[in-house]
Amino acid sequence: MSGHGSTQKGLATRAVQALALAVSFGVLFAITRFMPSIDSRLGTMTAIGFLVLSGTLLSELLEPLGLPHLSGYLLAGIVGGPHVLHLVDHHTVAQLSPVNTLALALIALAGGVELRVSTLRSVAKSLAYANFFQSSVVLVGMAGVFLLLSRFIPFAKDMELRPLLGVALLWGAFSVTRSPSACMGILSQTRAKGPLATFSLGFIMLSDVVVVVMLATTIMLARPLITAGASISLSDFNVLGHEILGSISMGTTLGLALAMYLRLVGGQLILVLLALGFGVTAALRYVHVDPLLTFMTTGFVVQNLSNQGAKLLHAVEQMGSVVFVLFFATAGAELDVPLLKQAWSIALALCVTRAILTYLTARLGSRLANDPPVVRQWGWAGLVSQAGLALGLGVVIQGAYPTFGTGFRSLVIAAVAINEMIGPILFKLALDRTGESDRSAPAARPSLPPPAGAH
Amino acid sequence: MSESIWLLLGLLLLAYLGSNLVGGRAIRGFGLPSGSEYLVLGFALGPHVLDVLGRSLVHTFEPVVLVGTGWLALVVGVGYVRVADRYVTPGRAAAGVLLGTLTCLAVCAAVYLAAPFSGFRGFGRTAVALGIGACASATTRHSVRWVVERHGARGPLADFAADAARASALVPPLALTALFAMAPGGGLPTVPMLGRIGVTLGFGAGLGLIAALLLGRDFRRDESWGVLLGTGLLCVGVTDRAGLSLLGAMIAMGLTLAFSRHRLEIKAMLTPTEKPVLLPMVLLAGAYVNLKLSKPVFLMVAVAVLAKIVARMLLGSALSFGRVRGSGPAFGLSMLASGGFTIAAALAFSTRVPGVAADAVLLFAVVSTLLGEGLGPAALRRSLERAGELHAVDPSELGRPSDAPELAGRESHG
Repeated sequence: MSGHGSTQKGLATRAVQALALAVSFGVLFAITRFMPSIDSRLGTMTAIGFLVLSGTLLSELLEPLGLPHLSGYLLAGIVGGPHVLHLVDHHTVAQLSPVNTLALALIALAGGVELRVSTLRSVAKSLAYANFFQSSVVLVGMAGVFLLLSRFIPFAKDMELRPLLGVALLWGAFSVTRSPSACMGILSQTRAKGPLATFSLGFIMLSDVVVVVMLATTIMLARPLITAGASISLSDFNVLGHEILGSISMGTTLGLALAMYLRLVGGQLILVLLALGFGVTAALRYVHVDPLLTFMTTGFVVQNLSNQGAKLLHAVEQMGSVVFVLFFATAGAELDVPLLKQAWSIALALCVTRAILTYLTARLGSRLANDPPVVRQWGWAGLVSQAGLALGLGVVIQGAYPTFGTGFRSLVIAAVAINEMIGPILFKLALDRTGESDRSAPAARPSLPPPAGAH
Repeated sequence: MSESIWLLLGLLLLAYLGSNLVGGRAIRGFGLPSGSEYLVLGFALGPHVLDVLGRSLVHTFEPVVLVGTGWLALVVGVGYVRVADRYVTPGRAAAGVLLGTLTCLAVCAAVYLAAPFSGFRGFGRTAVALGIGACASATTRHSVRWVVERHGARGPLADFAADAARASALVPPLALTALFAMAPGGGLPTVPMLGRIGVTLGFGAGLGLIAALLLGRDFRRDESWGVLLGTGLLCVGVTDRAGLSLLGAMIAMGLTLAFSRHRLEIKAMLTPTEKPVLLPMVLLAGAYVNLKLSKPVFLMVAVAVLAKIVARMLLGSALSFGRVRGSGPAFGLSMLASGGFTIAAALAFSTRVPGVAADAVLLFAVVSTLLGEGLGPAALRRSLERAGELHAVDPSELGRPSDAPELAGRESHG
């Protein structure tokens, strides 16, 4: 993702970008409308090309409005996706899922590398307070809001109180999930440095572990409330414990191996990252270990137990510049726009209350932790985005509770859609307002003078 | 874990090896210039021998292979006008294109005559003839580079061989562009043949122009990858869907970029991707080879190979009447060397003309590559020796990457 320097681009550059965007949409529109029956083996590749190009261009064009690049990528996916212009169909979007695997591995690696022990130590108190309040107050508060609004929610309005309490708890658990990808995306674009950036990154990466534990706990507690005759089973914690410990052990091993590779060889990092993103992720899933936590630990180990962190971060950022565009554009294409149209009012109400609760809780935590003023004022802004983990929870609940799971998942999708669009804008606004965004242009590489004898 | 993940990891490993080969130090020491060993490895792992790479598994990666062929064309296009740190002279470039075109026509004529005996009629006959002709036309620049660097060759013949080999790469994409435009059906049925050729080349050049404009005044590497990948994949996908030649469109895009203000940076970015793309593609091409063909088809391929040898020798002899010292039949044989780009042309052919014709074209490309590997480098060395252009290699030069010029060196340290 490119940096802020592109704000200095002139009208001619913007005109070229707009023209290129029109061409990419026009070409794909023409081939999907005038050659619909022709089956191409390269449909997925065409979609990748289109999403990368249009996402990059739209993000550049939206930049003068102060919107983050991520919003441009999402918008490109929404407009080109199956629910609006249908330039990329459902089947193709599904085929792009391996990109998510790679992108999440890169995001986790980058997130881990950014977590320096010294920095974490300096904000440990803030993170402890924030994690405690954000997890407990938001969970309970949002469960309460869900109960209050339940008569407006189609799948919940006829439920009895006991199962309704269970479902409300699940909604509370959903509400505490955050989006590491959106956080990393914005930090990567703005190259922000400062207390707010450090707090947001540290909180979101650590809360990922907290949330995984909390989700398992809530699902366990909600089960006897929702299903008559079901009891609380601690075996879930056994599995969870294995998963977390296994992830940390694997991540440490992988981190040491990667640090050694970076030190001794150091070349072809893009291919190494591809192998990690695809091959190692598949292996980790095979042994039931969480790839996100594993790669986060890997990055953390490389950063804190070796001096190779900068090299790894540079490689991840270089590769991420393309992969992240595709990841967020695909997320945009996956957004169920018709569903959002149906459920927007109740989803918006739930999102707004979540944002308010997040804000109030962040203020409370910051006050108790005696955080710097920028964190007190804006610490909440990076915590609004939601993405993959939240959607994953929706899928789990749909599978576990067929009676209301589909409706619950639809509401999850609608809420994530709103938070996914609003959250990054808020976080970038906060970083810009606090002056933590790097406004200098990234180093350009001037053209070489033509060699002697060139014609 | 699924089989496709294992295959993907294997291909990544190959790409890793390929990346190391680009490093410069290794180019003279390891591997064959055409990458034939990977072709043979792919064949050995493929359905005909060990069946490690089953047919369905291999076909899972078909889109990646096709994109790889397009990407190679882009790399060739971007580097078309330069050999190492100098520009290709227009005269030598014209000679290279002419040699490639004449070989293409000669082989095409021979196959056209032999094709009816193998059951090819109508458009199938034209397609197989032009497809094999296209695959016969290019000389791999890697073979020339391999000999030149290994034996420290310097002089007019070495330069001519390098320039002509690079220039000949234009012929397969153009021949396939014409063939695809001729083919019935496709996405532009109402557009005449010349129009389709124009659309193919114009679309590639247009996207190249857009990419060049988007790279703008400042060249930022991260943004540049997005622009190049985006336009490249869009170009490959759209041309394939429209039934046009992706190789033709991508080389047109590459040629347009070769004249942009950032050509050196773009070349420095793309050149290192060539081997990592090439080796997995060649390996999979080896696995795609189908030997369950009828005898007449094998005979037709043999006729094509013979026609190529004769054409090259005659053209080499014709060159000796000119001012190129050291040329002759042996030099003609040296131009037999073909490699990854020929294989790419054969694979690209299969996107529009599948079936036995595609199998025959791929078989010819593979045989041609293996034969060229045996004859080409040795013949070139003899010709260079006769021209008095071989010199002892300076050991201090061994670490210098030869084909990724100015910026490559800076990149590795930057």
